Amino acid sequence: MGEKSDVWQGTLALMALRTLETMGPLHGYGLARRIEQTSGDLLQLNYGTLYPALLKLEQEGFIRSKWGVSENNRRAKFYELTKAGQRQVKKTAAEWEQTTAILARFLAPAEEA
Amino acid sequence: MRQLRALWIRLCGMIGAHRDQDDFAAELESHVQMHTEDGIRAGLTPAEARRQALIRLGGAEQTRQAYRERRTLPWLENLLRDVRYALRGFRRNPVFTITVIATLAVGIGATTAVFSVVDRILFRSLPYAHDDRIVSVGLVQSLEREEFTLGGFFFDWRDSQKPFEAFASQGTMLHACDLVEANPAQLNCIHAQAGFLPLLGISPALGRNFLPEEDRPNGPRVALISYGLWQDHFNRDAGILNRTIDVDGSPARVIGVLPKGFELPTLQVPDVMLPLALNEGLERKGMPGTPMRTFARLRTGVSIAQARAEMEPLFVHTQETFLPGPLRKDFHLSIRSLRDRETKDVQLSAWILLASVLAVLLIACANVAGLMMARGESRERELAVRSALGASRGRLIRQALTEAALLSLAGAAAGIILAEGLLRVFLKLAPTGIPFLTRAGVDLRIASFTVLLALLCGALFGILPALQKPRAVALAARSTNSRRRTVLRRSLVAGQIAVSLVLLSGAVLLLKSFQNMEEQSLGMQTHGVLTARIALPGFRYDTSEKKMAFYLQAEAAVRRLPGIRAVAFSDSLPPGGWNSGMRYADLAVAGKPHPPQGTGGSIVDRGVTPDYFRALNIPIVRGRGFAEEDRSSGEYRVVLSRLLAARMFPGADPIGQRIQRNPDGMPFTVVGVAENVKNGGLREEDEPEIYFLRRNVQQDWGGRAPGAEVMSGAVPLMIIDTVLSPKAVTPWVRSQIAEIDSTVPVETETLNQTVSKLADRPRFETALLSFFAFCGVLMAVIGLYGVIAFVAAQRTQEIGVRMTLGATKLDILRLIAGEGLRLIVVGGILGLGASLATARLLKSLLYNVGPHDPGTYVAAALLLAVVALAATLIPAQRAASIDPMQALRME
Repeated sequence: MGEKSDVWQGTLALMALRTLETMGPLHGYGLARRIEQTSGDLLQLNYGTLYPALLKLEQEGFIRSKWGVSENNRRAKFYELTKAGQRQVKKTAAEWEQTTAILARFLAPAEEA
Repeated sequence: MRQLRALWIRLCGMIGAHRDQDDFAAELESHVQMHTEDGIRAGLTPAEARRQALIRLGGAEQTRQAYRERRTLPWLENLLRDVRYALRGFRRNPVFTITVIATLAVGIGATTAVFSVVDRILFRSLPYAHDDRIVSVGLVQSLEREEFTLGGFFFDWRDSQKPFEAFASQGTMLHACDLVEANPAQLNCIHAQAGFLPLLGISPALGRNFLPEEDRPNGPRVALISYGLWQDHFNRDAGILNRTIDVDGSPARVIGVLPKGFELPTLQVPDVMLPLALNEGLERKGMPGTPMRTFARLRTGVSIAQARAEMEPLFVHTQETFLPGPLRKDFHLSIRSLRDRETKDVQLSAWILLASVLAVLLIACANVAGLMMARGESRERELAVRSALGASRGRLIRQALTEAALLSLAGAAAGIILAEGLLRVFLKLAPTGIPFLTRAGVDLRIASFTVLLALLCGALFGILPALQKPRAVALAARSTNSRRRTVLRRSLVAGQIAVSLVLLSGAVLLLKSFQNMEEQSLGMQTHGVLTARIALPGFRYDTSEKKMAFYLQAEAAVRRLPGIRAVAFSDSLPPGGWNSGMRYADLAVAGKPHPPQGTGGSIVDRGVTPDYFRALNIPIVRGRGFAEEDRSSGEYRVVLSRLLAARMFPGADPIGQRIQRNPDGMPFTVVGVAENVKNGGLREEDEPEIYFLRRNVQQDWGGRAPGAEVMSGAVPLMIIDTVLSPKAVTPWVRSQIAEIDSTVPVETETLNQTVSKLADRPRFETALLSFFAFCGVLMAVIGLYGVIAFVAAQRTQEIGVRMTLGATKLDILRLIAGEGLRLIVVGGILGLGASLATARLLKSLLYNVGPHDPGTYVAAALLLAVVALAATLIPAQRAASIDPMQALRME
């Protein structure tokens, strides 16, 4: 299990939203590091892909951004969840749980009928 | 919803792009710095830390690119860039741009105009729910080709039929009725059953439909009024419901207002709709029963053919119940789609016009394609440069298509304006030429069609030139040598010539036919004749006696006017239009049996007063016409047309012979034979004709006196022959009639106008096809000229060489003109073949000229060849007069 896996298509948005939900406002770099940490450093994020994904979420109205000052006194853009974003997290999370539950049944060792 | 919001923001993002880019650059920079600081803290050198940060980012430029693509709509940006580029190109070359747009405008405009005319005939759904399942059901016979039913048939069929889910009738036709109140009006009324509007899926705009109990004899008297009547006569009074109006002297309660623009499936527009209120019991017993028009809605999945098969046994059974044996052979069951019932007779015309205008459009597109290709040649180097700089093939094609789309949309805009103008011309040309013409116009549906057409057209002429890949040599070559590439242009021109020859020969055929029709002898005079239709309000002139008194009084009054030669009444007028008609088999020579039913076809019958033959100047060839004293005679007298006399009394003298309509009825004595008159319409064969005398007895003036041989109830037409101009006499005639009864509506028309109206449709078809042929030939010739001029220009150097080597001007002329001649011959042969193959379709539109008339094809081909040759000679001549020295110096 030494290898780090790439992010699956479409899950990055949910990870970002969920991270913003638990952590509150974060800047892009912090968000990226946090996602990697949460994954137990199993995920290897291409940071460049995070920004277009954040832009998409912002365009869809799930997050908003504004400039602020980081913990190291550096100017950075902070992202935070909107009301719609909070609803979206619940909705997509539920969907994912269902999907993984279904997949889990398929992957479970075959039982004697 | 979310996607839409994102789309909108991305669209907005295209404005003020620079500031946002700076913003992202700052964000990216802060990201990299934070990452670098982390790296330094982990013990890396600052340079290594920054390198690592950039690697993890996946490259700063790539990230910026991905961000940019997400921020705006890249394809839209590309498109805008292409548009700007194309517009710049057009501005640099205005002659090219205007030529292309004008060519397209003619093609698209003409197509739009014709489409808007034929749309309602061929494509647009009829204004009823499930219009594709509504059919006209009924009997047809030799005198009535439109389906009708009779009371007994209707109820029998309604009860036992299976293929239909709805089945209901309206009255046979609109009839004049009077709205009697302080502000009286003469209206058109129609009777309909309670199930009639639901069958069509029509619900009243206000109020409700008839209830079943109102559709019974002696039921409550109710009426539906039209939207127009409600609006114009009652000022959209919301209190109209439950108001009682007086129709023809009997009160009826208004229960609803029909929706705006409602028309009957017979295409008439009623003002008032009343319940048909049939007495079912009586209808089931009585024969013939009330005639009506029946419509039905097919069950889903049932085809018309299936319905016909299912109805046939029912038809046979009902026919045996109700119709006397000898009559049966003449009656047939007919079920037609509502569209066919409405417009069957013009569908062919409509298709032909549409096909020819599409041919014009095709020629226009080919022309534009030729122009684009010529332009492409001169831009070849530019394209080659772009391609060498890395523009992909698709990118270049997209650019070419953008240009084409812009041009064709501009053409469409100009075309729509042109179409509006053309429609106005159509209306001037032949107001009754084709149904719905007066209502044709450019609406949203037509406009979308036009835009679609333009884009299709643009795709066609945009793709063709774009397919020619810029070759690498174009970069190096100082001049292009693309003889090979003119092959496509040449075949386009040959195709244009072929298609325009098809149009031209069709137009010549129609012109010939139209000329034949206009020049034929009608067998009567049409100049200096005025006709007046006087519709007496039925409720005031409720007996034949009153009617007769009025008409005779009017006749005498008009006779007193100066400059009047003859005044007559007839129930109809040749050469066409409505006449009651009868079967040949209905007449028998006295004492002999009737000819068997179903043989002999139909004949025209007219009830006329004695002056009829004088008024129309129809010669009497034997015996005499009717005389004034015949009007008071107790004897029935008739005049036969020469055709009918020859058929009924071959080789014998018809004068004094007797004819019977019913075996036990009064015999008619033949007093004379009149020359044949064109009486079956302008394009159709003449029919045998019998003239009955309208005597001064009330039965002959309308109403149906039982059992007697009477004129039909048709409104008599007054025919006035004058030595003055009919227009001058019109106001006098009106005032004479107004003096007798000022409330009676009078419609006047000169006989010339009546005849001219009959020629409306042929005139329309001929004028349109001629116009299309003209446009087609013109464009084809311009295309030909373009190609030859291009070829000549390309071969300038070669010509110079040839001339220095001793070629004469004539040789050069022959060389270049030969190029054109080849195209003309190839196109001409193709065109002749196609014309001969398609001309059959025109057959039913032609009068006295065959679809394969050799003269026509020779004329059309010669005409085209001469014009086309002239178009090739101009550039050939120019090429031949080149100074060889100059030609050689040219690169």
